[in-house]
Amino acid sequence: MKVKNILSVAGFAFIGGILRYLLTIIAPGMGVLLANWLGCLLLSFLTYYVIERDLIAGWLNLGLGTGLIGAFTTFSSFTTTTIQLGNNEWRFALVYGLASLIGGFVLALMGYWLAKRLVEMEEYHD
Amino acid sequence: MINVGLGSAIGAVVRYLVTTWWKRSQIDWPFATLFINVTGAGLLGLVIRHFGSANGQYLFWGVGVMGGYTTFSTLNTELVAMFDEHAYGKLLSYLVLTYGGGLLAVWLILG
Repeated sequence: MKVKNILSVAGFAFIGGILRYLLTIIAPGMGVLLANWLGCLLLSFLTYYVIERDLIAGWLNLGLGTGLIGAFTTFSSFTTTTIQLGNNEWRFALVYGLASLIGGFVLALMGYWLAKRLVEMEEYHD
Repeated sequence: MINVGLGSAIGAVVRYLVTTWWKRSQIDWPFATLFINVTGAGLLGLVIRHFGSANGQYLFWGVGVMGGYTTFSTLNTELVAMFDEHAYGKLLSYLVLTYGGGLLAVWLILG
């Protein structure tokens, strides 16, 4: 357990959490969904491109993935929003829940697919 | 805004420590993320029940600590890794346990 890794996660999470909060102010009601969608695309791209190609130092990769993107996205707020929507109108809860679940997975798949294509293209040119 | 950042940093470090500890078990199933997301969902429900969702306590404990502790991007990247390995049973069970567990925990508190 390196202190450098913990400090990297903490520092980047500080920024990630604030960015998510700002997004909820800019886009009320949609902020968490947008943060979660964007974060899924970015983290799977980071995982399958930057990490597999070994482009950056371990502590930086950990800071960006676990810290910045990990804290930018959130699961707890998704669940409370869904249940609170469901207390008023179950149809809204269903739409919000499915948009998060399907959207998150599809965007993570897109990040993965983009990373694989880029790696293939670079290997072709090498 | 600083309290959201500080809370997120604390939450994310706890998440990092839990997942690092779990990875030592060498068990190829993301129980750490499942545990974090389900407990974090329930704890956020408690935060909202006790503090409401429009004050400084909520910003620190809810938006900050629980927001930084739980993660949506890691969940979906792990699901994609299972898809990549054609481990569809694992994918489905992980998805159902996370969403089912998280929503049930919050429903019991706020529903």
